[in-house]
This record gives sequence, structure tokens and C-alpha cells, in this order.
Amino acid sequence: MTDGPLIVQSDKTILLEVDHPQATEARHAIAAFAELERAPEHMHSYRLTPLGLWNARAAGLDAEQVLDTLLKYSRFPVPHALLIDVAETMSRYGRLRLEKDPVHGLVLRTDDFPVLEEVIRAKKIEPLLGPRIDPMTVVVHASARGALKQLLLKIGWPAEDLAGYVDGTPHPVALLEEDWKLRPYQQLAVENFWAGGSGVVVLPCGAGKTLVGAAAMAVSGTTTLILVTNTVSARQWKEELLKRTSLTEAEIGEYSGAVKEVRPVTIATYQVLTMRRGGLYPHLELLDANNWGLIIYDEVHLLPAPIFRMTADLQARRRLGLTATLVREDGREGEVFSLIGPKRYDAPWKDIEAQGYIAPADCVEVRVDLPRDERMAYAMADDGDKYRLCATSETKTAVVERLVKTHQGEQLLVIGQYIDQLDEIAERLGAPVIKGETSVKERQRLFGEFRNGTIHTLVVSKVANFSIDLPEASVAIQVSGSFGSRQEEAQRLGRLLRPKADGRSARFYTLVARDTLDQDFAAKRQRFLAEQGYAYRILDAKDIATTG
Amino acid sequence: MSSIRILTAELAARSDKSLRSLFDARPDLISPPVPDFAALAARACARVSVARALDALNKPQLQVLEVLHLTTNEDLGQSARAGSLKPLIAGSTLAVIEVILKELHARGLLYRDPAGSGGYLAVSSLKDVIGLHPAGLGRSYPELVRTQPLVGARLLQTVQALHRFGAGVGSASTALEAALAMQSWVNAPGLLDQLLASAPETTAAMLARFSTGAMGAVENAQRAVRPEAADATPVDWLLARGLLIPLDNEHVELPSDVAIVLRGRVMIRDFTATPPAAELQRTRASLRTNAALGAIAELLRLETELLTQIRDTPLATLRAGGVGVREIRRLADALRVDTELTTQLLELAALSSLLVLDVDTSRWQPSTTGWQQLPREQQWLWLATSWLAADRAPFLASQSAARSSGAVGGAGPINALAAEAHRPDAPVLRKQTLFVMAELSAEDAGGPDTAPVLGEAAILARFQWRRPRLARRLRRLLPGFLRESELLGLTGSGSLTKVGHAVAAGTPEKAVGMLRAALPQPLTHVLLQADLTAVAPGYLSPELTAELNLLAEAEGQGPATIYRFSPASIRRALDSGQDAVRILDFLGRHSATDIPQPLRYLVEDTAARHGRLRVGPAVSFVQSEDDAMLRELTQLPALKHLGLVPLAPTVLISRVGARESAAALRAVGMSPALTEADGGVVKVPKTGPSVVRASGPVPSSTGGEDPAEAEIAAQLSALRSKPSWAPAGTETAPQLGLEILRQAIRLKKSVNISIVDSNGNHDQQVLVPLSVTGGRVRVYDPDREIERVVSIHRVMDVELADETDEKRAT
Repeated sequence: MTDGPLIVQSDKTILLEVDHPQATEARHAIAAFAELERAPEHMHSYRLTPLGLWNARAAGLDAEQVLDTLLKYSRFPVPHALLIDVAETMSRYGRLRLEKDPVHGLVLRTDDFPVLEEVIRAKKIEPLLGPRIDPMTVVVHASARGALKQLLLKIGWPAEDLAGYVDGTPHPVALLEEDWKLRPYQQLAVENFWAGGSGVVVLPCGAGKTLVGAAAMAVSGTTTLILVTNTVSARQWKEELLKRTSLTEAEIGEYSGAVKEVRPVTIATYQVLTMRRGGLYPHLELLDANNWGLIIYDEVHLLPAPIFRMTADLQARRRLGLTATLVREDGREGEVFSLIGPKRYDAPWKDIEAQGYIAPADCVEVRVDLPRDERMAYAMADDGDKYRLCATSETKTAVVERLVKTHQGEQLLVIGQYIDQLDEIAERLGAPVIKGETSVKERQRLFGEFRNGTIHTLVVSKVANFSIDLPEASVAIQVSGSFGSRQEEAQRLGRLLRPKADGRSARFYTLVARDTLDQDFAAKRQRFLAEQGYAYRILDAKDIATTG
Repeated sequence: MSSIRILTAELAARSDKSLRSLFDARPDLISPPVPDFAALAARACARVSVARALDALNKPQLQVLEVLHLTTNEDLGQSARAGSLKPLIAGSTLAVIEVILKELHARGLLYRDPAGSGGYLAVSSLKDVIGLHPAGLGRSYPELVRTQPLVGARLLQTVQALHRFGAGVGSASTALEAALAMQSWVNAPGLLDQLLASAPETTAAMLARFSTGAMGAVENAQRAVRPEAADATPVDWLLARGLLIPLDNEHVELPSDVAIVLRGRVMIRDFTATPPAAELQRTRASLRTNAALGAIAELLRLETELLTQIRDTPLATLRAGGVGVREIRRLADALRVDTELTTQLLELAALSSLLVLDVDTSRWQPSTTGWQQLPREQQWLWLATSWLAADRAPFLASQSAARSSGAVGGAGPINALAAEAHRPDAPVLRKQTLFVMAELSAEDAGGPDTAPVLGEAAILARFQWRRPRLARRLRRLLPGFLRESELLGLTGSGSLTKVGHAVAAGTPEKAVGMLRAALPQPLTHVLLQADLTAVAPGYLSPELTAELNLLAEAEGQGPATIYRFSPASIRRALDSGQDAVRILDFLGRHSATDIPQPLRYLVEDTAARHGRLRVGPAVSFVQSEDDAMLRELTQLPALKHLGLVPLAPTVLISRVGARESAAALRAVGMSPALTEADGGVVKVPKTGPSVVRASGPVPSSTGGEDPAEAEIAAQLSALRSKPSWAPAGTETAPQLGLEILRQAIRLKKSVNISIVDSNGNHDQQVLVPLSVTGGRVRVYDPDREIERVVSIHRVMDVELADETDEKRAT
């Protein structure tokens, strides 16, 4: 027993004492197999999950190393049952391998006869398999590669996919590293991905995921399909690629609701791919259109279910997933693992922040008191209306005005959920508003002006949540949010986390009506942010004028 | 001569040292103390004591004793010596048998042949204890014929048929002749091998099944069979040749004559003077220590939490006994562990008297043992010694025990804490298991970094050699023992730990020192964080734990505990009389860092909203316009028991009823007017659950098994101070009487018996005893030609009839 920084709990969480001299060392050692769950200021907690352990196996770690790490850094004896469980779980990965056989094509091979016997008897798996070649090998229908991996994961025998990939149509892409350089962690992410074949790179918002994508394209040197969440994000990818790579306008196509271009590098939205007409997906053929050598999935944690099904058929193509978090609100982490691939690179927010690549954020919760009449209206409202009533309180508008005044001259975003409220605030501030009905062109124009500093204040609704790069925003004021979702919080904060030119710290205000539902939801957000390790303060609206 | 008499003389002639070793081996002989050597001998010959002594024998000892039992006859004066036993035990040597015979003799199971042949005889009650088929052998042909007339008739037919068939069996006209013919036939050299060569294919495999027992179940065993039948099954074939004897229509017996020839003309084939070596897997020594220390810390933590839970809500018992599944589930949820572990924790707490059953409410409650205040290593010692001495098998109450036995018995699981899990032999088995484990560990020749894993199979195999007669009982209990020792840290990663070695050596106190060094000191601080949690990075002092449990909800499972603050938890603390200042002060004192601002806000905001309305108990009130007088009343010592508190000017509240308050006030010279608004009875609220004092004392470490040195010394001097033979002893007489009765039964002799009837009258009769069971003797009265049953306690005196005649003659 050492006096280490870790406390391994029998409920499969690992606590890491941040201030311990060995903390950094231990953090790096366990990051490979445990998922960071919470990162408040003193004690970070990690969780051991089968997926995490299999990710570690995919990265070449074996059970012995994991056990040694735990025993080495643990302050107290490690629960024995947990050690056994880790060893047992890790031994399950790779007992089955998908391989390419020169004669039979795709085969499932094993060194462990009973395991193969078990899986070929599973009802759902049986139809995916062809004839048995020898006791240890069975033919797999080429089209069933993805489905088989999914099912194998479900029954707890995740297969290692060693069957390789199609080459795709060659199409050279080069990075133009003139006034910038790929950061070391981006470089490492690309290397890890390429060595692993397919998989997911986890980087915090603002850490330059697009560049990881571009670098992967440069390594691949083939035609590439990029799947993104929406049109605005598609345009940003295009701009970034034009700026950072040798690709020209003519080589990049957009495939969205408005435009349908198929070019060597094509950027398509999830929405257009999953559009259904008469029970069919008319745009599905895009996936096979150009013999893609690489498929990039942006924001993997938002990948809609139909895309999973399509991805299942694309297992012979290299796949790169990019995301800020593997946590999915729908709990389909397993499908990401089996269909896109294991985690290939992961850097905790705090680490990258510490290296100065993303700006530290300062979160402030501003508590406002409802005036008496609103308080009564709130008290008597139906349950369904209560949240809207407290979230859109008039007093918040006044506080927004004061905050804007405090941060005069800084690039500032006001974020909210209720359009009426946003319109009113926009009017009071004299700032433009971007909402669902704003045309893409108009959005582009406003974002452009915000970026180059022509306008200082922008009021945005939910549409701004994803993938819009506003690197100069340094202050955000959230007036209302959608019921405390973790997702949303991460995204909103992400808006502010791009490194600032002058190294200022970003400020994130949340306005909360005291003693209402708003505060309950705020408590959830607060917990999430504090768990992510952000400094979190509470201010009374009355104190605004004097602080800031 | 009676074996008790001979043994008495032998014991009296022994040295003190020899007697001491006897008492060590058979502690029940002097517990309670015996008055004289005759009583000692009588007790040594009693069935229960002999059975216990056999339980303590190892396999070679038992095998030698079995063979000796089969080859001697007390009545005919046939004794056995090493030389006569050796040919019957394959793989033995004279020296080994000699040593074993001496050991058996030292344990008082054998006595020297009084005729002076130098051979040994077994005490007579051995016959009743050693089992129906010693050494797995049945009866011989003559014996079968003698005891079972129907078998004899059938054997005669079989032999006649075989004789006609020309099998080489001598002719016979009576059952006994048939038996003797069979005996000499099967013993003819090489005959059985020849016979078996022409037997149906699976016959040899079938006979192999009789290697450990002589009886078999066969359907329609008394079927008609002919030796010449061609398509005979193995059973038909054996029955037709008289090699299997049908006892009734369902059972057959393999005569010992056949079995011995089949075993290569020996009685014992698998004799090994030294225990068979065990093949053990290895684990890392660091893993073992890690697992054991982890288990101990976890056990103590969970037991403490369990007691806290049960203190708040005592556990209800079912009408059928034990604690029901629903209660267990509730506890498991509260402890955040599974029901299986909860059951084990509960059982362990109960057998350590940390929980006691309150007979008034039939609920389990924590006892006031002070266990929770002990240092952790002492807590462990308490649990470990209680477990060693416990006559319960807690594992039987768990679900998986029910599953594993489900295939055999199909009985449902035993409820936790129910009486069914009572196993009086559990302490002995536990002690022996630990002994075997220590022995196996000591034999392992691994390096210092490895530790041998003691699997169930290896332990059982060794136990089978060391205590063959106990092994069967152990089989069912062993999985539980192993899990419990893992829980108590006696084993870790399947290997015996240092702590386990100390316990196995009977010195659990030694383990305490090791644990004191290994268990970290309790912490007195926590880490407060902005996500409204407090993390206790290790074992927290009990007072701090109690306070934090009030302020926050505990989360997680393991060495560290996370406490999460919420408005609800803070409100709970405020309800219990805390206020914001005190809470923040407490947190500030025990926090390693500053109180995070969100937590401060939470406490202050919640406190600001708390208590705008206040509710409190008051049973009656005292009202007066004279406020000064009221203040005076609150100060009066004579009224202290009323608990008078000023609620507002002119009003006091009292915690006792109006009438009582009024009476008390009158007693101090006031004259209050009694106002009873509704005239109803005011109930006094029940105070919190009381704790019950544990009935048992602090568990002793030895389990009360072995006699103390002082007792042995006292016993020895008592024995030496008396004449060796005093047959009037209360303990000796019935034993002697029984021995004579059994002898008479064996020899089919009549006895001169003196019986007391229900009116207290003596009656001397000559009767033929037929059998002795269950405290009664069945006798044949030759005068009246009837059978009777006589209770043993009515038999005053018994003598063999011809012995009396001889006496008369002289």
C-alpha cells in the first residue's frame, strides 16, 4: 500500500486527489482506461466501464498493466472483486477477431473455441455468418461486418476489427502550415487514429477538432466524406479547409438541403442524409457515391440513430469520429464504440486549458429576485407554464442591460430559449438576433460581422448551440436554458472557450430567478460545471453594478 | 471381561503425561470432570465420545482401526497385531501400523488383549459408531446367511444351480454349507479373474462402484436368474453366480469375501501414511495483502453502517423465524450493496452479539456492546473470534447456498438469522479447515512474492485425508467458510494471509498488532467542493461520520465516501436543531480547504427559508398574568421534571400532562385551575428506540473448545486420589450394563437382569436380550415365551446368566 493519489472504490469509481504530488502522473496512467466523470476542484472521479476497458485493450493495454497502475497509485487496498472484474472484462476483448482471409474474404477467427461456439449459437448472430471453415474460423457475410460487431458487443464479446479498409479514390490533400502549426496533441490524435484504423478522437470544444479532421485527410490522401450537424457548421468546415489545406473551392462540395454537390471532398449534413421520402432515404447513395477513403463524423455524440444503421454498412471504409464528449444523452455509447470505433485519443479539458490552448472560463450564476407580481403569477401558474414564467422574468432583462454595460467593448453573446424574451432583449440592447427563422445567409453575415468586430453584441437562440465558431466571444449571458441539459451546457461554454487573442478569461453568466424552478435547473447546471472543474460563483443581482 | 474394566485398569496405570495427551486428544472425557478412572473409562467407551474420537482420526488411522475392527472379536478373544494387519492393508509397513496402533491405543480406542497375546482389541462401542460397512466392506457369506434367513434360502438355491451348471462350487444342502461353499469358491486362486473375463462387458465397471460401499440399489433384485443365460446383464450375471446377494427386492450387497478378492486380497487399497501432495495455483503476495486489507476495512465500514441503519429502524422478524427478504432488501438498498452481502453482514453482526433480538418486540436491535467505540483492529478481533466460535453457518442463509443445494434438496433458502442455520459442529470444522489451510500453505514452496491459492477442491482433498469422517459435513459448509474468511481478511485472493495464519494458529490476538499498523488512522477532515460535495478521502472518525450523515447524503461505495449536500439534507440538519452558523462553523473546522461559495450559499439560503413557522411538542401549558411568578416557577428545582419552558410572555409549556403539572404545582404551594378543553387523554410521545444489552459476554478467543491447563491438572489430581475401580459410580454402571447387554446379544446368551417396576419394586428375571436402541432394550422372556421392551433406566443390574451360574457354583 502506498500513499498514492488514487482511491479505488468498490462501486468502480476512482477518485483522484488533484493536489497530490503524484496526481498528474496518476491521471495520465488511468486516463487510458477510465472515463473522467467529474472534475471538481479537489477530487476528480473516474469510472471504470467495460467500454473504457475495451478502449484500453484496443489501445494495446493489457489487464496486468491496468491492475499494476491501480495498485501502484492507490492509497488504500483496491477492492479485490474490482480487480478480478477488470481482468475478466479486459480478457473478453480480442478473443474474437474479424480478419480478411485471402480465400474466404471476411472471417471471424478466435483462439478460444468455446467463445466461438457461444456466439455462433446466438440467435441474432447466426444469420450473419457463413459456413465454418475450421473449428476456429467462420465466414462472415461482407455486408454484416458492422451489424456483427454491434451484436458481439451487446453479448459482451467485442471483436477486434483487423479486416482492413478499402483504399478509396486517391486525392492528395496537404496542410498549409504557414502562419500556424498543428498542436502537439492534435498531431498525436491523428497519429493514434491512423494507427488504430478507425475510431473516435475526443477533444474539448475549442481545441481544434476541425484541424484534426483536416490532418487526417492529409494523411489519408483520399476522397473524403464529412458528416456534420447542420448547414452553418458545414460552411465553417469548408472555410476552415480552404484556409488550412491545399484544397480549392472546386474540390469541396456541399451536400445539404439547399445544395447537392458531390466533389472529392464532400460535406453533408446529418439532416439531409436522414431525410425520408416515402419510407426511403433518397440521399443514401451519397455514401457510396465516390468510393470514399475516409469518412469523418463531426459531433459523434449527436449522431442520429439512422446514421448508425447506415454506418453499419460502411465498415470497410475508414471512419473518424470527432467529439467533445463520449457521453450520449441516449446512452448509445456502445454503438459508437462498435460502429465508428474505439476511442483513439482523449485529452481532458483541464489539460488542454493548462497548456494555454483554450481559454479558462469563469462561471457566474446571477440570482435575481422576482418582483412581487411575477412571484404571485408564478405561484398560481400551471406546472407547464412555470418554467417559462420564471425564466423570462422582466427583471432579467434589466440585469442583462447592466451586465452588457459592465462588459462594454467586449464581444458578448446573449443566449436564450424563448424567442419573445430574446427579441425584447435585442430591442433593448439594440443588437441583432439570430433565431430559427433567420436565413442561413443572414446568419453567416451576422456571425461574420461579430467575428471581425463590427458588432459587439449578438443575441442568439438555440440554433447557435452547435458548431458555430465564434472565437472572439468572451462573455456569454444565458438568460434561459432548456431544462438543464448537460449537452447544452457544454456547447454553450464551448462557444466561449476559443483562445482569446489577448489571453483574457471568458466569462459565463447565467441568470437565475431565485426560489423557482429556474433555480432547481440551475442547480443541475451548476453541478455539471463544477464537476467539469470550472470556477463557479454565485452573485446577487443587486451586486452586479459593483463587481464585474 | 468387560472392556470398560480393562480400560479402567489401563488408564490408571498410565503416566500423567500419557493422560494429558489423552485429554488433549479427547477433551470431552474430562468435561465435566470425572470422579474416578472407572467413570473415565466408561465415558471413553460411550458412543458419543467414541464417535467424537473417530471424527478426530486421520485417514490411515481410521483405515487401520477399520481393519482391526473387522479382524478382531472380543468375545472369541481374537486380537490383532501389526503383523496380522499389514497383509490386509496395501502399501503399509509394519512400522507405520505399529505407530498408528500406539496412537489409537493412546487415545483409548484400543486396549491390550487381557489374555496377554500382545494384540489389540477395540472398545466394544466402536461397532455402533464405525458404520455399517467399515472399509467399504459388506458382510461375509456366513454372516449374511446367519443374520438374514431369507438370504440363506436364496443362496442355497443359487449354489445348487451353480453346482448343477458345473461352475466348480461344492454341493450344499443347508444355507450355512452354501455360504461356506461360496466362500471357498471365490477364494480359489485366480478363479474370480477367470470368471470376470467371460462376464458381460460392463461388469468390471459396475463392481468398481463398490469400492467405497457394499450396498447397491437394484430394481427387482430378487428376479429369477440362471447361470447359463447367454444375454445376461451384468447384474443378472453377478446375481446368478452369487457374487451379489439380494437383501430384499431393491437392494443388493457385495459380500466381503468377494470384495476382498477383487481388491487384490487386501481390505484397504488406498493407504497413504502421509497426506497426498496438493497442486496449488499461485497468486501474487501483494495481491493477497491488498485483497485482505481491503476486505477488512470494507467489512468494518459496512458493519458500522449496518448497525447505524438498524438503530434507526430495527429489523422485524417473520413469524416463521428469521428476517424476511423485504427487510434484507431495504437494508441492502441503504447500504448500497447486494442482498447476498447484506445477509452475510447481518449474520456476522448477530453471531458477534452486535445485534440482539428484543423479545418484547421481536425485532433485532443493536446491543450496547461498545463495539463501535473500539479501535478498528479490536473491532476486527471481536468479529473474527466470534465467527470462529459461532455455532451457525451464516452462508446457509444466503441465496447462492440455496441455489447450490437446490438440485439436491429443493428446499427454499433459509431466512437470514433463522434458527435453521444452526450447526453445532461449525466451530470444529472451521478450526480444522483453517488448520488444513495453514498446513497446505506451509507445504507450498513458492517464492516470497507468490502465495498459494487454496481452492475448495484442494482443501477438501486434504481434509478427506486429515479428517475423513468430518469431510462429508464440511463439503456443504466449505464454500461459506471460504467466503467468510475472505470477508474477514483471513484469506485474500484465495490465499491464507498473515492474519489468517495467526488465527489458524489459535492466536488471533497476534493479528491485531499487524492490523493496527495496516489500518490507517481515522481522518478528521474532509474536502469540500463547489459541486456541493464533501469527499472523505479515507476512513473518517465515527463522530464526523455521524455529523456528515445528518448534513448530507452519502454516496458511493469503498474506502472513501462522498457526501452530497442538497437543500433537503441541509433542511434535515436544521430540523434536528442545527443552524446555519453552526453548520458552517462545523464544516469550516473539518474542511481541509475553504468552504466553497456555492456551498455557503446553499446553507445560508436554506436556513433563511427554514423555520418561518415553528412547531414543537407541549403536553400542557401554564398560563398566568403574573410573568414574574412564571419565571420563578421555571427556576424551581421541585418542578424540574415538568420541563417548564417560557413560550411567550405569560405562557409556559410543560412536557407532562395537565393533571400531573397541576399536582406538581399544588405540591409547591400554588393553586392552579385545571382547564381541560376537550377532556381527552393526552399521550406522551414515545421516546426513541431503546438499546438492548447484549446477553452474552465478550466472545472468548478460543471458542471454549480446549480444556485449560488448570482444569487438566485438577482432573489429574482428582483421579489419582481415588481407587481406580469403583463400579458404583453413576456414570460407569449404565455403561457397564449396556456393554453386558450388547455382549449378550452378540453371543445370544441370556442375562440375569434386575428391573424396577413403576411402583419401585425390584424384580429379578432371566431374559434373552435381542436389541438395544434408543434407551430401550427388547428382551425375550423364555418363561412366558413373549417379547417385551424394557426401558434401560429401569434396569438396575445386569449380569450374564452363566456368569452368575459360575459364581453360584463357586
